[in-house]
Amino acid sequence: MSDRLLEVRNLTMQFGGVTALSEVNLHVSKGEIAALIGPNGAGKTTVFNVTTGYYTPSSGEVLLNNESIIGLKPHKIARKGLARTFQNVRLFGDMTTLENVMTGADSRNKVGLIGSMFGTAQSRRDEESSHLKAAELLNFMGISHRGGQLARNLPYGDQRRLEIARALALEPKVLLLDEPAAGFNPQEKVELGELIKKLRDAGFAVLLIEHDMSLVMKISDRVSVLDFGQKIAEGTPSEVQNNQRVIDAYLGVADHAS
Amino acid sequence: MSTSKISIPKFNLRDKFGDWWEGTTRNQRIIFRVLLIAFFYILPFLDNPVFGTTESDFSSVLFYPMGMYVLMAIGLNIVVGKSGILDLGYVAFFAIGAYTHAILGLSFGFNFWINVVLGMAFAMFAGVLLGLPALRLRGDYLAIITLGFGEIVRIVAINVNFTGGAAGLAGIPAPPSIFGVEFLVDDPRPYYWLVLTLTLLVIWAYMRLIKRRPGRAWEAIREDEDVAEFMGIATTKYKLWAFVLGGAIGGGAGAVYASQVTSIVPELFDLNVSIMILACVVFGGMGNLWGVAFGAALLGYFPEKLRFLSDTRILFFGLLMVVMMNIRPDGIIPRKKREKVYDKNTGKEVSR
Repeated sequence: MSDRLLEVRNLTMQFGGVTALSEVNLHVSKGEIAALIGPNGAGKTTVFNVTTGYYTPSSGEVLLNNESIIGLKPHKIARKGLARTFQNVRLFGDMTTLENVMTGADSRNKVGLIGSMFGTAQSRRDEESSHLKAAELLNFMGISHRGGQLARNLPYGDQRRLEIARALALEPKVLLLDEPAAGFNPQEKVELGELIKKLRDAGFAVLLIEHDMSLVMKISDRVSVLDFGQKIAEGTPSEVQNNQRVIDAYLGVADHAS
Repeated sequence: MSTSKISIPKFNLRDKFGDWWEGTTRNQRIIFRVLLIAFFYILPFLDNPVFGTTESDFSSVLFYPMGMYVLMAIGLNIVVGKSGILDLGYVAFFAIGAYTHAILGLSFGFNFWINVVLGMAFAMFAGVLLGLPALRLRGDYLAIITLGFGEIVRIVAINVNFTGGAAGLAGIPAPPSIFGVEFLVDDPRPYYWLVLTLTLLVIWAYMRLIKRRPGRAWEAIREDEDVAEFMGIATTKYKLWAFVLGGAIGGGAGAVYASQVTSIVPELFDLNVSIMILACVVFGGMGNLWGVAFGAALLGYFPEKLRFLSDTRILFFGLLMVVMMNIRPDGIIPRKKREKVYDKNTGKEVSR
């Protein structure tokens, strides 16, 4: 048994003739922040979509807590402990902030539709715990004053915070964050970095896609670099920063022929 | 929010009522509810030239189309308004309920009360059969499949023997008397009270569902089905539940309808019924129960009220709808939810 909570082995994803991911290996352990970086179109979000079950990979394995999750529906995978946020914020706009978080919390509950209709003891307990957990998470993310507002009316930064709160409500083991700092100002980025470190210290395994290199280099324990669907480097932030292939991928290779 | 070309003064029925409602005490709310329900029960006696319909029997209008439309629109609202599943074949469930009572009542002498339950059960079963494959689709494709389902049920009813074919079935038994109320052919009032009672039961169950986990799951699915799935919501299961519950209500409505009209033909269950009920939902305000109920009642009422215009009444009815959808494109009482106030520590809703 390894302490690798999420492990991706030889993952290949083809869409028709296009190979989006080719033999990618990744892993995240408990209490670790792993970052996934790479130029636009490198396949970072595809990694998230495959691991969360939205796509079925062409070949390869995805292990969550040492258990294969290939072929499971996304909601089953989510309940097994994998939660994610989205590159472009995707909230339930017409629901209140608290209700957004409650949808995640509900997935941990047992009550079904019939139980809800008749208001069984189980249903009352579950409702109470969903409300309570959602309120706690809003407090944790510092947006409890937004609880009753519709998610669509929140300022952008709070929408991003709400997405993280909603993901945490699933009580995940692994947290996939897709560009959480996009659109943040420097101060907000610092706060976000602190928050992600706090989550790591609380025992979550965090897999982070991020374009802000200073944030990535500051908080990550390990960085993997994707380019054209292939992993071209992996290591500590400083190792990756000095890797020639990574520099070439980001800056392009100088043309010596002329 | 809505953008309308015709500018109208700010008139927000929903928020005005909402503010007033939140300021009331528990006892005031109970009194309000009791008075409102009592009002609807005595409505058949309030037939007068201003309020009632002059050209047609008011109690009869209250039963059909008004009562029927309201009950069915509330059922379809769970599917279309709450969960965002566009169902254009809702009439199928109505037909299944109606034929269940007609066939079991005529051929086997089953009691109406058993048949209502069986009609709902058969409609639910049909909902599962259709829903399991169809609910994998979304949007236009789902709409087309449900449209086809509605037509299939009607065409099957024309072409098989046990439904009486195109000639339909006649002499469908009325419900046996209950609490001393006799169901007679020439008196639609008991049927109206029956539909009203069913509607109130449905509203009771609906309100409990939407305030709790299923309501949140349905709304999440309507807002973004993929994200709902990522948040651990079993979207297929909840979509199927919405579809099946909506179907059950349609089936119950069908059984009641058949018992009142005493004879049914397949042509009663054509696409127009689905479109009409969908129009009720959209007109009233998709996803808002009170809007949908109010809208359905209006759409049932106006064609009868306008009967003095004889042949041009449908023209005026159409005009009314066009004007209405221009002024209030989101429906009479739109869905957009009011903001709430929660206790910061327990997350419980508190009234302000």
